[in-house]
Amino acid sequence: MGAVLITVSTDTQFVHLAWKRHEKSLENVQYLMGSDASGKVSRLFGVYVEDAGLALRGTFIINPEGRLLNSEVSFFNMGRNIEELMRKFKANLYLAKKPAEACPAQWKDEGDKTLTPGPSMVGKVHEALAK
Amino acid sequence: MTLESKPLQLGGQVPNFELAVYDPVKNDFGTISLDEIKSQGKWTLLFFYPADFTFV
Repeated sequence: MGAVLITVSTDTQFVHLAWKRHEKSLENVQYLMGSDASGKVSRLFGVYVEDAGLALRGTFIINPEGRLLNSEVSFFNMGRNIEELMRKFKANLYLAKKPAEACPAQWKDEGDKTLTPGPSMVGKVHEALAK
Repeated sequence: MTLESKPLQLGGQVPNFELAVYDPVKNDFGTISLDEIKSQGKWTLLFFYPADFTFV
């Protein structure tokens, strides 16, 4: 899909390997498992909790030019699902191709209704989406 | 200026960073950097979580 997915925690890469070997639900993992043992990268993205030495559940999307386009952080106790990330990534891919358009809340995949911001849409989002 | 002193902003440029990685496909260890991914013309999806052996 033209993207590199990296999962990151403050565990070492050696523990990542052990976890992957041990945990059955990671059997088919193909993404890179990154180690941020120093917390440097977690601090850069503002997800490092100093007292705990751990990273919060942060999801970030960076485009091929190195610009940060999405950021979402949840506290330790709330898990995420991969569909949420994929929806956001697909929307970013689409918007990179169609910079004049915008993906509304309901947008899930290419072909779904988008909005083109402009004077005629002001106060008329409901009508624009119903078209 | 250190990286930590300048918060990242949406729409802004992310400074280069490097991570040690375990690559399950190659079953090997290595490193990856943002610059490396950018040079391949690819997007970077970062997924932070607190700890291995827990849920994500």
